[in-house]
Amino acid sequence: MLFLRKPMAFLKKDFLMEVSYRFSFVLQFASIFFSVVMFYFVAKLLGEAPSVQNALRQYGGSYFSFVLIGIAFSNFLSVGLGSFSTSIRGEQMMGTLEAMLVTPTGLSNIILSSSQWNFMFTSLRVGVYLLFGALLFGLDLSSANVLPALVALALTVIAFSSLGIISASFIMIFKRGDPIAWVLSTSSTLLGGVYYPISILPGWLQGISYLFPITYSLDAIRLSLLQGAGFLAVGHDLIALIVFSIVTLPVSLLVFRYAVRRAKKDGSLSYY
Amino acid sequence: MLKYHHMAEVVLQTQGLSKEFTKRRGLSSPLHMFDKVTFTAVRGVDLTVGRGEVFGLLGPNGAGKTTLTKMLCTLLLPSRGSATICGYDLVRQQGKIKSSVALISSEERSFYWRLSGRENLKFFAALYGLSAERAYQRIPEVLELVGMTDAAARRFQEYSTGMKQRMALARGLLGDPEIFFMDEPTKGLDPVATHQLHDFIRDRLVSDGKTVVLATHHLAEAEEVCDRVGVMYGGEMKACGPIRELAGDATLAEYFLSLVKESQVDH
Repeated sequence: MLFLRKPMAFLKKDFLMEVSYRFSFVLQFASIFFSVVMFYFVAKLLGEAPSVQNALRQYGGSYFSFVLIGIAFSNFLSVGLGSFSTSIRGEQMMGTLEAMLVTPTGLSNIILSSSQWNFMFTSLRVGVYLLFGALLFGLDLSSANVLPALVALALTVIAFSSLGIISASFIMIFKRGDPIAWVLSTSSTLLGGVYYPISILPGWLQGISYLFPITYSLDAIRLSLLQGAGFLAVGHDLIALIVFSIVTLPVSLLVFRYAVRRAKKDGSLSYY
Repeated sequence: MLKYHHMAEVVLQTQGLSKEFTKRRGLSSPLHMFDKVTFTAVRGVDLTVGRGEVFGLLGPNGAGKTTLTKMLCTLLLPSRGSATICGYDLVRQQGKIKSSVALISSEERSFYWRLSGRENLKFFAALYGLSAERAYQRIPEVLELVGMTDAAARRFQEYSTGMKQRMALARGLLGDPEIFFMDEPTKGLDPVATHQLHDFIRDRLVSDGKTVVLATHHLAEAEEVCDRVGVMYGGEMKACGPIRELAGDATLAEYFLSLVKESQVDH
């Protein structure tokens, strides 16, 4: 179990750091509650409209369930895209990156391990979203098929993380103003079906939306959790996510290797 | 005092080690914004340090001491030249080198301030590859060595400058490295803490066969603890040897100032 020692050390350190800011820790869960309440009322307003029910038929017809899953799981998009670059920049700004880099722990290990807490905390946040939704606002997960949803989630994390590693490479060289995360995050939220189904977009925009992994992730997760869809029903989404990961993961690792070498050459590894 | 010509075992050797930084002129020169400007921070350094030696890297600010130290700790890639540390190649065997060296700087922000001293050491012990059992034994040992046992449960942000420096030393000791690179380790320390650190270098590290490369511009510090010194100016190693051989009848301060003045004229 020695290979888990370093990731576990990062997890413990980040947990201790997070809970040392107690008020902020609690506040994050309060903000989830208010977000759920807000979308509950928006859903009440829209819920009865036939056009809304029609557009959401394949997901069960409830806008509240649709949007809650969209918002909750799009957190993984944000964390996958941003957590690697945020971790690097955080350690650079705190001054701890150099101290870590002189240890016999590789930079890839440092960056992957330092992002774990963000993913775990996001999972907790998503759980709280669903919990509030189910306990207080009638989110119906009784027919949920959890296993395909978990597989889709795992593939989502890999796909988004590959893009996040490319984004971190950018931060390593240019320090700020990373356009990759911004473009992907904005476009994914706009076109990926977080707040509304992509079926309401004009045809040409729908075509573009299929370029983003979030479109497949949210479709698979919604179908599994709200309609109890099995692997067969979400297979096309899972295959798209696998193809996306196979293409982007090696590219992201190559880009990252180049960025580290360049930063070591420039001497800018710990600058911010 | 160890003399360089009696060196038992070479643990650090550089040949023509150089570091250049290149950047574009940018908006400061709009007509030539894409032209590259090269700055040489370290130029052709040849250096040999033996096991158990305390080697002082002297020089004014900007002389290249920190850049040389960072290269030898694998934080920077050299532009030219070669180096071996404990027999490992500086570029090709960085992982092995990292297990053999520790960098102790005066940078207080290299710790997590909201964690306790012990929590910081536990985290870095994992990064140094210590198993949980080994860390459980080693952390109290290093805390005891640097006299921080009683303060280990306090948050790092509550420590004085001297305590923070002792924690940096404790972290460096965790992996039991062969070479300690110390970059101005007494910056901000009071005379008592400075003296304690010097004693520690001599009584604990050197007596244990460890090698120390000490970058400093405190000449009195170099005289007190170093076997040999190298004087850097403008990225070049201008002189290297035992203090008495270099300075002769003059004091180290007199010798240093005359060498720097000479180098300024050459530049």
